Amino acid sequence: MSDPILAVQARSLSKHYGEGNTYVLALKEATFEIASGEVVALLGPSGSGKSTLLTILGLINPPDTGWLQVGGVDVIRDGAAVGDTNLIRRRNLGFVFQRSNLIPFLTAEENVRLVLELDDVPRREALRRTREILESLDVADRASHLPMQLSGGQQQRVAIARALVHQPSLLLADEPTASLDKELGRRVMELLKTAAIERGAAVLVVTHDHRALDLVDRIFEIEDGVLDAQSASVPEVTQ
Amino acid sequence: MNLSLRDVRHDFSRFLLTAVGLGLLLTVVLAMTGIYNGIIKDATALPDSLGADLWIVQRDTRGPFAELSRVSNDLEERARAVPGVARARSYVAHTIQRQLPNGRPLRFTAVGLSWPDDLGRSLPIVRGRPLAQPHYECLVDSSLGLSLGQRIPLGRDVYTVVGITDGLLASGGDPSAFFTLSDAQRIQNDVSNEAIRLDREARSARVRQSALGRDPELVRFSGKNARLIPALAPLPVSAVMLNLEPGVSLETVQARLQGWQDITVYSQEEEHGLILGGVVEKTRRQIGLFRGLLVVISAILMGLIIYTMTVDKIHSIALLKLLGAPMSVILGMILEEALLLGGIAYVLAVMIGNFAFDIFPRRVVVENEHRLALLFIVTAISIASSAIGMKKALAADPNEVLAA
Repeated sequence: MSDPILAVQARSLSKHYGEGNTYVLALKEATFEIASGEVVALLGPSGSGKSTLLTILGLINPPDTGWLQVGGVDVIRDGAAVGDTNLIRRRNLGFVFQRSNLIPFLTAEENVRLVLELDDVPRREALRRTREILESLDVADRASHLPMQLSGGQQQRVAIARALVHQPSLLLADEPTASLDKELGRRVMELLKTAAIERGAAVLVVTHDHRALDLVDRIFEIEDGVLDAQSASVPEVTQ
Repeated sequence: MNLSLRDVRHDFSRFLLTAVGLGLLLTVVLAMTGIYNGIIKDATALPDSLGADLWIVQRDTRGPFAELSRVSNDLEERARAVPGVARARSYVAHTIQRQLPNGRPLRFTAVGLSWPDDLGRSLPIVRGRPLAQPHYECLVDSSLGLSLGQRIPLGRDVYTVVGITDGLLASGGDPSAFFTLSDAQRIQNDVSNEAIRLDREARSARVRQSALGRDPELVRFSGKNARLIPALAPLPVSAVMLNLEPGVSLETVQARLQGWQDITVYSQEEEHGLILGGVVEKTRRQIGLFRGLLVVISAILMGLIIYTMTVDKIHSIALLKLLGAPMSVILGMILEEALLLGGIAYVLAVMIGNFAFDIFPRRVVVENEHRLALLFIVTAISIASSAIGMKKALAADPNEVLAA
């Protein structure tokens, strides 16, 4: 057995909002690790700090304190972003949302290819990779359609393709199955898991949907800003 | 991947409709510029085509274009005797509004040319010939809509159109028509038989009531045709145009003539100044103000359009930020759309102008320099209005995507 490749390492991430009477500690000293190819579910009631953790991992809001490494690169040190956060997001992070959030004026193929072109991947190479991932997610035949011409499931698959096409270290999924029926929701979770294993991405899924929890490798629970990752152990993943 | 083109493609009909609306507004801006230039060209076309070096007008007036001027008929002879003067011509002009036998209204400025010295050869005659006989011929501007050989009854006489000029309008925008001096005066002073009879009666009565009335011969003469009475002065003219001999100093001749106490002398350049500073000045300011307002309105509208277009896709912009798109990509998209909108509107304005300006009732003069100036204004407006959209885009929060 070899050591797992750690996609994410977080140490003592804390975040507060407000001052004085309105002071709220949204995240308290969160420390965890997620390995490449691992799917982790983040569970917790509303206002527990799930979104705060998600925005910190997504480099949207910086924490007050703590250290974060994604894909072996320090991205937050002592609560401050290190380097070009846009560049890090472009290369190391992928996002899937409750709604597909595809850009309405781009076709399915363009929505996916955009992520590669933003990172200056040559057009020919970007096209090849885009077609490949759309085929693997079974939506290649809808490549030239605008989002409004796709079904909800097709939109979500295109969104997953967009989130994974640049082979990010960490894929953040915020309630990706909430707007889908049970069967489709489970199919999306399966796609995320398969894609994570095949492409070596760590997946953190924020969800209230307990129906697909059997597909995740670990569960993080968060309440009142306290992340419980104690019970889980990093699974063994071969290189 | 060009995001701006894809965004435009997504709702092309709305974008095109907006561009057409803006294009029409820019057409009006261009038209205002053209109308202003046309007014200047119209106002100066006539004096320019007559080709005088100096204009002699009534003392202390700014005639003959900016103000009414009357000088005596013999001034032409006096001026001709001044050393350095090669040519002196009388000039009269007055506006006529009559009706052709077919009922069509006819309004023009009748200009009198000194016969036989000035046959209208200096005028831009595009068809026909200059005047060739001392009476009953005329040259008319093409905008009057008359044809060669057409006969126009004016007063007691009928005049034949022998030549057509192009682009000779008076400062009021009326087409010019050229007659011999005596014909122009005849048309101007044409009155009815009854009016003539009453005028002669009144003149005789005045003579009888004065000491002159003791002479029965004088009383008899006073009731005859005014031209037969040597004591009565011939009709005045509006001005006298002078051309100088080659090499003669204009300032010297002008200074010499200024010594005459009954007249004022202007150079051609000074006449331009009087026309533009007097007749055209208020129009110029009014059109300039109107044009400025239209530019401001265009800028505001374009700013609002770009702002609305940005707001419409603010979620996509927030998403682009979340995906790590550099700000240059997002701001570039907004700027490109603004420039594209401005560019299409500009091209439409120029194209519509090329077709429409010819059918305007007044001359619209739009040169390449004016089109370039508008292009510069449109570019500036596009950049300024995109700044409003950019400000909105900069404020877009990637959190909105997560919160949605």
